[in-house]
Amino acid sequence: MDGFSTAWNILTTTPAVFAAIGGVAWGIIGGALPGISPSIALALLLPFTYGMDPITAIVLLGATYVGAEYGGSIPAILINTPGTNAAAATVVDGYYMHREGRGGEALGISLQSGVVGGMIGLIFLIAFTEPLSRVALSFNFPAYFALGILGLSVIVSLSNGSLVKGLMAATFGLMIATIGTDPLSGVSRFTFGEAELLTGIEYVIVMVGVFAMSELMMTANTPDWGKTDQTQTRIKLPTFRKWRKLWRAQGIGSGVGIFEGVMPGAGGSIAAFMSYNEAKRWSSEPEKFGKGSEEGIAAPEAANNAVACTALVPVLSFGIPGSNSAAILMGGMLIHGLQPGPMLFQKEPEFVYGLFGGLAVANISQLFLGILMMTPALWLVNRPKPFLMAAIFGLVFSGIYSIHNSTYDLYLVLLFGLMGYLMRVFAFPFLPLVLGLVLGYLVEANYRRSLELTSGDHRIFWETPIALGLLITAALFVTGSALRDILAARKAAKRVAEGPAPE
Amino acid sequence: MRLSLGQITGRGLMAATLAFGLSTAAQAQEYPHDTVTLVTHSSAGGGTDVFLREMVGFLGKAMGTTFVVENVTGGSGSNAMAKLAQSPADGSIFYGTTPTYINTSLLSELEYDFTDLEGVANVFMDPQIVFVKSDSPFQNLTELVEAAKADPAAVLFGVTTPGSLDRQVMEQFKSLTGITSPVITHDGGGELLISVLNGTVSVAIGEVQELSAQIEAGEIRLLATYTEERLPNFPDVPTAREAGIDLVVTKFRGLAGPRGLPQDIKDLWAAGIDRVLADPEFKAWYEAQSLVPTPMNAADYEVFLNKFAEDQKAFLIQYGIMSQ
Repeated sequence: MDGFSTAWNILTTTPAVFAAIGGVAWGIIGGALPGISPSIALALLLPFTYGMDPITAIVLLGATYVGAEYGGSIPAILINTPGTNAAAATVVDGYYMHREGRGGEALGISLQSGVVGGMIGLIFLIAFTEPLSRVALSFNFPAYFALGILGLSVIVSLSNGSLVKGLMAATFGLMIATIGTDPLSGVSRFTFGEAELLTGIEYVIVMVGVFAMSELMMTANTPDWGKTDQTQTRIKLPTFRKWRKLWRAQGIGSGVGIFEGVMPGAGGSIAAFMSYNEAKRWSSEPEKFGKGSEEGIAAPEAANNAVACTALVPVLSFGIPGSNSAAILMGGMLIHGLQPGPMLFQKEPEFVYGLFGGLAVANISQLFLGILMMTPALWLVNRPKPFLMAAIFGLVFSGIYSIHNSTYDLYLVLLFGLMGYLMRVFAFPFLPLVLGLVLGYLVEANYRRSLELTSGDHRIFWETPIALGLLITAALFVTGSALRDILAARKAAKRVAEGPAPE
Repeated sequence: MRLSLGQITGRGLMAATLAFGLSTAAQAQEYPHDTVTLVTHSSAGGGTDVFLREMVGFLGKAMGTTFVVENVTGGSGSNAMAKLAQSPADGSIFYGTTPTYINTSLLSELEYDFTDLEGVANVFMDPQIVFVKSDSPFQNLTELVEAAKADPAAVLFGVTTPGSLDRQVMEQFKSLTGITSPVITHDGGGELLISVLNGTVSVAIGEVQELSAQIEAGEIRLLATYTEERLPNFPDVPTAREAGIDLVVTKFRGLAGPRGLPQDIKDLWAAGIDRVLADPEFKAWYEAQSLVPTPMNAADYEVFLNKFAEDQKAFLIQYGIMSQ
């Protein structure tokens, strides 16, 4: 209760409340612009916080992070482009719903799920920072490797039909992940002497290329593309009755998000994919996933907002940032002379409670700001197609350019656009590609590090209990899905043999 | 809060030095530019960014001109180097140096590399420290070396990234002592710290600023420093030399500019850095960070940087990180 009154005092006596609201608004814009990731939205803001009071500054940055994780879902739903890495899983069902004319509902679900996930994540951050930090500590190399493998097992459910094509796409993603500096030896791999490739290819460049650029190319190909879209989209929050259908997916998303946020190096994209997979498994209508499932939006959106809160656990308890965005937030603390880490709670309790209070305000105000800011976004996508496509092209190029102020990245985005176009033509699924890309480094680096620990002895993977448990779970997922597919195929074959299916 | 207080006192000091410094200003040569840009490859909030932004407030009053910090990120310093190499060599733009820009130059085929820049002044050395978890059985480097010799696989060494200076230092440590223990690389200082705290690696190298929270909380313990002398903040921690291992690490922080800078600009910087380092308020900041002031003028710094690059190249070739 003491903490609560401290937080209340800080929120009512400093500009922290305004910082929280302003941060969310800026975060939503930043997240919604493809190419401006949450970490870039934070980095752009950081220089403006140097002169502020520390609590106001950190609340502003924290609120931006919260808003940006939500904002990424807006272009995912409306223009088939994830605004952030973590919104990649939202694209599938979100854009499907939008094309069916249910885009407003999809936006409402993602907004409400983001708020639910964010609040649950925040409650866990406030109440369980200490025990959650022990979870982070108990993860060593073999455990991270097994986590990556568990993530890759999700390919089976993301492949939508052709598992072979899904595996090929995932392998391609894994191959892209090997570009850059070798995680162990430091040798440059597949960089062709280009310094731009030394640190690897940013995920967002691949995703924007594959999703957005290829969509633009497809649209330019359609004969009737000059026509205006007649369906006018309006945001529609889920009713209480609908919420009852969604709470399970949101719960799964929040749970996965809390877990992934705590661990440095895991992050929002993996949380979004894993929660999508889990929501599908536990859903009463798994067949709807990939075809405009509401739960398929609720789970990843709850997950990435939960991550934004619990990613602060390692920052506050060890002084170790769990994500790029958390790293910039931590940089902000250091600039203000606050040393994140084990002593922070004792030395600067006002700061910690002020931050918690600010994040609560940010999460709640997100609901209202989301509705407010959706209106112009919807107006934009309701413009005639040629204008919209030109605007998306400009938006994507300026967003990608802003990452490193480099024209090199623009060529990369075009290259991946071409790749996405070919993938569309040959009906390859995108999500396994993204998953392979996001998990490739995690799996490879931690596999090799694990073997360095034991001088090449593979027993380390089953002698580490967490790793063993995760690997068994992954094996069960894959065999379970395979069995189900085989049974379904047999049933279908039987029906075909018996005659035409009753329609 | 602290920052704003600092700014207020900073303004007071500036007023005082203005009044007091009129006579010295008459002697000192006027800086030929109103605004000087300091470019860093570090993103906003990163180590070099924080250092430069902290320093420019004091530099401004020491050199009588305005400084701005610009983040030119991407390409591990190559974008920043390209910008510098194409800028006029007139003292209006400088680059915040760290070992990174030399490493990047060596590891890739750049259009503009570190040889297109020239050293202007060094400011600090970051002391590298050897640390273990607080309940580690090792009390000093000698015990660690003995245990590693008895069973190399049981004493695992942790470093941040594969091409980093600390990896190089660990390998040098191994060759100086004849140890064969594996060196495990991480994705950065944070991951390395977790590996030490959860016992995955036995010992690691790091920097005081990154570890101060854990040192203060008693979670980790320092075994040695790779410095010439003991650090004033940690008088009980011996240097590696005291343990009979001749290893001193030079992780520098300074400034470089486009090649061909006029000598008078270089002289102004040499004097300016001396004045900044003597500023009591700046001193309080850098002493708290355990940064070791190591001023070098342009001529000395250029020699130092070239020597560093040679050593670095030899190391990268020896460990197969680069060919030729």
